[in-house]
Amino acid sequence: MRNTSHRILSGIILIFAFIAMISSCDESDVPAELEQGKINFYFAHFNNGENLEFDTMKYTNAAGNNYLVNEIQYFISDVKLYKSDGSIKLIDDWDDIHYVDTDIESTRSWQVYDPIEPGDYEKISFTFGINEEKNQSLMFLNPPERDMFWPEFLGGGYHYMKLNGKWLAENSQVKPFNFHLGIGQIYSGGVIEPDSITEFIQNYFEMELPASSFSITEGEQVYFEILMNVDNWFQNPHVYNHDEWGGDIMQKQDAMKLGCENGEEDVFSIYQVFIIEN
Amino acid sequence: MNWKIGKMENWKNGKSIVTSCLQFISPFLLLSLSFSSCNEPVCSEPFSPTPYEIEIPYGFPTQLNIPEDNPMTVGGVELGRMLFYDGRLNGRTHPDSLMSCASCHRQENSFEVGIARPHPFGVTGKSTHHAMLPMINLVWNPGYFGWNGSVGSIEEDVLGVISDPTEFDSSPEKVVNTIKSIPGYEALFENAFASKEITIDRIVKAIAQFVRTLISANTKFDKYMHGEVQLSPEELRGFVLFTTEEGADCFHCHGGYGNPLFTTNKFYNNGKDSVFTDPYDRYFITGDQMDKGGYKATTLRNIELTGPYMHDGRFETLEEVIEFYSHDLVNTPQIDPLMHHIANGGIQLTPNEKSDLMAFIKTLRDEEFLTNPQFSSPTEFP
Repeated sequence: MRNTSHRILSGIILIFAFIAMISSCDESDVPAELEQGKINFYFAHFNNGENLEFDTMKYTNAAGNNYLVNEIQYFISDVKLYKSDGSIKLIDDWDDIHYVDTDIESTRSWQVYDPIEPGDYEKISFTFGINEEKNQSLMFLNPPERDMFWPEFLGGGYHYMKLNGKWLAENSQVKPFNFHLGIGQIYSGGVIEPDSITEFIQNYFEMELPASSFSITEGEQVYFEILMNVDNWFQNPHVYNHDEWGGDIMQKQDAMKLGCENGEEDVFSIYQVFIIEN
Repeated sequence: MNWKIGKMENWKNGKSIVTSCLQFISPFLLLSLSFSSCNEPVCSEPFSPTPYEIEIPYGFPTQLNIPEDNPMTVGGVELGRMLFYDGRLNGRTHPDSLMSCASCHRQENSFEVGIARPHPFGVTGKSTHHAMLPMINLVWNPGYFGWNGSVGSIEEDVLGVISDPTEFDSSPEKVVNTIKSIPGYEALFENAFASKEITIDRIVKAIAQFVRTLISANTKFDKYMHGEVQLSPEELRGFVLFTTEEGADCFHCHGGYGNPLFTTNKFYNNGKDSVFTDPYDRYFITGDQMDKGGYKATTLRNIELTGPYMHDGRFETLEEVIEFYSHDLVNTPQIDPLMHHIANGGIQLTPNEKSDLMAFIKTLRDEEFLTNPQFSSPTEFP
């Protein structure tokens, strides 16, 4: 999907990011288990094969909405590594829920604490958002994660994602949209008030990343880039129209359902950037 | 050695005979005590100030913004409180020229000036550029103080006040010399910093320590969070409005159950103006065109006491503020996307909803904070 020049540029940026990540580690960060491997993730955001540009009304989604993106903040959690022997490694030590914020560069790099057993792995998966058991109110007391809290009346816990931007509405008026995903609500009688909620819907989903097989040997550091293609939130399988859903969707389960089903389809991808041998 | 006075606005420059006598004999008394106690081996150990521990309230952030070079001590907080209220802090001694932090940061107004005039003014009568922000829960400010985040720490803020012509209009040298000239302060500095030396750095640090203790965590809403009280039906409806997108959607910028500071300490263009003429907005700091007209979302704790509102004090009452958010928002390219109600000109609250929202906001009033004697003026000064 991405062109060659972009891939080269992206690679250069990533190399610098990873060098910064590596050089920032003091000796205490170096694991004792050098016979094990280590993995690292870098989060990148694209639109139609190009690096995402913020605050520029240059994108058009499948519904024909011209739009801009101001910021993206989201959680991924429960990263699983599926080994060829059938075993599954759940990355859950120290940092089982990872927060990504396009305004905070440090959140875009994740140096996984867990040592990784050498071998061949068939795929990687993660949970977009936070699962029901873990998504508890007041578990993040400090910013920036704290500011993702999801109101108690609407199900509590935390936003899975805030994707904030603006679109050019039908009447040529520029309107803000808050594409916020989290716990949904079912309201009785069409009355959108907390007293009318009959059910909460857990909208988080597990994302199996395509083409995510990899091998790791003793002492190796493997670096991955996890890509979010922003436009895909609004297409495939569902065309998401901002004119239809408006600026806010936290209390519109139908809209969040569309968004999450699109997200589950092809918003995320991954590729292995490089390996550093010990 | 100490003489009893009221608030430093009433301070008079004079000494009684008893005070003078005490000042004369006290060094000998201290010397005598120190000799007699030095028979103990403990005297060989240097004095170490007692650390001051901040108790983190339920639901509040565990990360405190306390600089490594200014650890909190019991003596530091005590000294800081003394200086905060001491009218001689501005380096002047004439009774008509005294000014302390507390001259404008008044506890009964949540350490805000609480006057109708939008911009407070300093010792010379010149007004500050922006309206005042309250001093409340600043130990959790991540380092973006002021309306545009231009100030990096409380220490930096205090130091700036001293020379600012709209505030103390003084100098660090004058302040240090004045404090040095006051018998009794040396002992307080020693208690705080294990040294009698009086410097501007220590004056600033002590005041910052005191300011970090100004914690509000006992509103009706806090008690509701703890399960101790129930909100009234009106307050509860207001809370629903506050915390839902289909309602007033205040919570994204002003917090709520998940963020009891009631501010994100972030900066937003909230739709006040179509043209941005203030040279000291967030754009002044970042240079990002999208930050024009951007200002900090203030804490809503004790907000009913800290008017006038907005960076320029354009609204005198909370009713005016709610009316603004309800109907009078201005759409510009810089408006923050979180202001998604802009498409309708505002959140379009009905009169009953405005009343409910106001009822909820008033649950954020913290009487304990406003009357806590630990935050109040000392009854005695050196």
